Amino acid sequence: MTIDQGSLIETAEELYESAPCGYLSTLPDGTVVRANQTFLTWIGLERQDLIGHKCFQDLLSIGGKIFYDTHFAPLLRMQGFVNEIAFDLICADGRQLPVLANTVQKLDAAGRPMVHRITVFNAADRRKYERELLLARQKAEQATEELKRLNETLEERVAQEVAERLKAEEALRQAQKMEAVGQLTGGIAHDFNNLLTIIVGNIELLQRRLPEGNERLLRAADHAMEATRRAATLTQRLLAFSRRQPLEPKPIDANKLVAGMSELLRRTLGETIVLETVLAGGLWRTQADPNQLENAIVNLAVNARDAMPGGGKLTIETANARLDEAYVEALAEPVPPGQYVLVAVSDTGTGMDKATMERVFEPFFTTKGVGRGTGLGLSQVYGFVRQSNGHIRIYSELGEGTTIKIYLPRLIGSDDEPAEMPAKAPVMVKGSGETILVVEDEPALRAYAVEALRDLGYRVLEAADGRGALSIVERHPEIELLFTDVVLAGGMNGRVLADEVTQRKPGLPVLYTTGYTQNAIVHHGRLDPGMNLISKPFSYADLAAKVRRMLDD
Amino acid sequence: MSSIIKQNNVKVTGRGKQPMLFAHGYGCDQNMWRFITPAFEEQYKIILFDHVGHGGSDASAFDPMKYASLDGYADDVLSICRELDLKDIIFVGHSVSAMIGALAAIREPERFDRLVLIGPSPRYIDDGEYVGGFKQEDIEGLLDFLDSNHLGWSSTMAPVIMGNADRPELGEELTNSFCRTNPDIAKHFARATFLSDNRADLPSVKTKALILQCSQDVIAPEAVGRYMHQNLPGSEFVLMEATGHCPNLSAPEETIAAMKAFLRDPAPIQAAA
Repeated sequence: MTIDQGSLIETAEELYESAPCGYLSTLPDGTVVRANQTFLTWIGLERQDLIGHKCFQDLLSIGGKIFYDTHFAPLLRMQGFVNEIAFDLICADGRQLPVLANTVQKLDAAGRPMVHRITVFNAADRRKYERELLLARQKAEQATEELKRLNETLEERVAQEVAERLKAEEALRQAQKMEAVGQLTGGIAHDFNNLLTIIVGNIELLQRRLPEGNERLLRAADHAMEATRRAATLTQRLLAFSRRQPLEPKPIDANKLVAGMSELLRRTLGETIVLETVLAGGLWRTQADPNQLENAIVNLAVNARDAMPGGGKLTIETANARLDEAYVEALAEPVPPGQYVLVAVSDTGTGMDKATMERVFEPFFTTKGVGRGTGLGLSQVYGFVRQSNGHIRIYSELGEGTTIKIYLPRLIGSDDEPAEMPAKAPVMVKGSGETILVVEDEPALRAYAVEALRDLGYRVLEAADGRGALSIVERHPEIELLFTDVVLAGGMNGRVLADEVTQRKPGLPVLYTTGYTQNAIVHHGRLDPGMNLISKPFSYADLAAKVRRMLDD
Repeated sequence: MSSIIKQNNVKVTGRGKQPMLFAHGYGCDQNMWRFITPAFEEQYKIILFDHVGHGGSDASAFDPMKYASLDGYADDVLSICRELDLKDIIFVGHSVSAMIGALAAIREPERFDRLVLIGPSPRYIDDGEYVGGFKQEDIEGLLDFLDSNHLGWSSTMAPVIMGNADRPELGEELTNSFCRTNPDIAKHFARATFLSDNRADLPSVKTKALILQCSQDVIAPEAVGRYMHQNLPGSEFVLMEATGHCPNLSAPEETIAAMKAFLRDPAPIQAAA
């Protein structure tokens, strides 16, 4: 079999008609004079319907038609070619076919335009990609825009952040200042307390031993005693502020406590101030030192009264409250989130500005006139609340009034009945020869305690440190009570001594005394359950009552 | 160089005294006049310029507010006239610049001797009885078209897609080197052009005008040219054999002949009144 070699080679016509692109020739006015089969197939027209009957621009969408006249034709005329124009061809069936057109202008011998050769590429897929790319690009631009916006507001956001940080630091500084002031006042009060104890003891000794009938000396001793008691109260308040007062926390029903105070409060407030108490039903119980809570409420009431010289209304409210994480996180001082019992004291008084509010808990800060206030009331309240694991919050508006909210932790799982208010005036009770061991490293203090107890009718043994005390205990099995300072010189503190002694004499009552303490006997300012403590400076009567009660139990 | 001269890429040639100011239309730049001006250089002072955003103009001078209507472009024409102290001007405007020239002549009629209006249209969109040749949606179609297609895909779409607008050289290989136009401005100009309606201004034109109307002009159909003629006092109307919208390019000889015939005509403007 022979093959006609000629039939193996594509003809120019084949190449033209079946090219993968459309070929068009038009006159300078656009009239189509020649088109290949590819183009005819795409456009859906018969050759005879196109050639000589239609212009290229007739096949375009309206946008393309305008572009053809305003850009395409002028460009072609001026530069002789136009490349890569994205037209939409309108096919016979109405479909639009996206194409790219390249066009060359052919001139005649005289240099006049003779014919346009237009090459048309099917750009349907390409246009689809374009749209997707455009979409992606728009997304990217939006993201960039968003980033830019974030960057532009960066300064503002940083400023805001810094302001918040500064505020937090300020709060922290405030808390640290309170802490430092607390340390200082606590230290002073402690030492001062020891001195007061000696002073009180010696004045009492003088009072007892002064010859009858010497009225002048007796009066002088009374004045000295009175002043000393006031000094003792002052140091007590300082200790309270510095969270170093020994507390005796007990289960409290705050409603009962507030209700029980109304008579006292009415007398304190006077007639121009209306007292209103709003007590919540179903109030949880809390645990705190009831005496100190009462003190705190009286303190707040007195402040409120002073803020309402023209009269007004004092409201004491109780409520169950929940301090959530967000709230406590914003506080400078550590307060655990959870359930609290709220006692709020509100007045309709003058209120205070921000600067006052910031300093109001500082000791000796007072807005009252000289001689009218110690500046210790609110700081004492603050110290008590913090020491009781509570939280205190002050809200005030100038001219509107002030609300002080005390949050005390809810007491859960205690069946104890709320404490009854202890008797206000301790009864003076004498001893009947019982043997008491007094351990105190400060000789003057020891002498005062020994003297007082002997005066009360007890038999007293004394030791200056733990070692001496233990040897006395060995030799004197008749000892019925150990009275010891918490802090002792000589390496053994009161707590250890007590443990040693009670090992030898199980059940022996132990009475501790201290100015302030953060050690063995007082856990975070609280007495261990079942422990007895008498705070320095203690009075003769206090000591008498405490010792008698312990011996009788 | 004064700022307006630089801003609009103003070129002055010709050996004559009377100024002939050429204004290109929507689409290209002063290159549009390359086949026309040689015929007038001997007798006239030829002034060519590019509208802001086109050709060699300073695109940074583009102010979307100013150029939102044709008045902003007429401002520039008058600024050029003032800067070059042009008087007795023969203004030759193509396409939309025909109307821009008419607006300038209304504002400072004393500067203008004659107007040659090539393919003018006072309004492109049909309006009741008025036939402008386009519907509103056609113009939207053009704007869409321009989005993907300014002067060739590579110079328009590639930078848009690739985000290399600051590296135009990447798209230049295959594209069209004449009539360089900022795509955003071109689109803005298209909007100002095709949405314009200056029919009410026509009776205010006191300058003698020639209307050169092409056959089969899609942009400014014959009916529009005739409307111009009827509403432009004392205008002359010439229906050309040339087809399309750019006789200055496709039929320069016919265009030149019609202009010369008009310029020789001594008929005074008073005829209009």
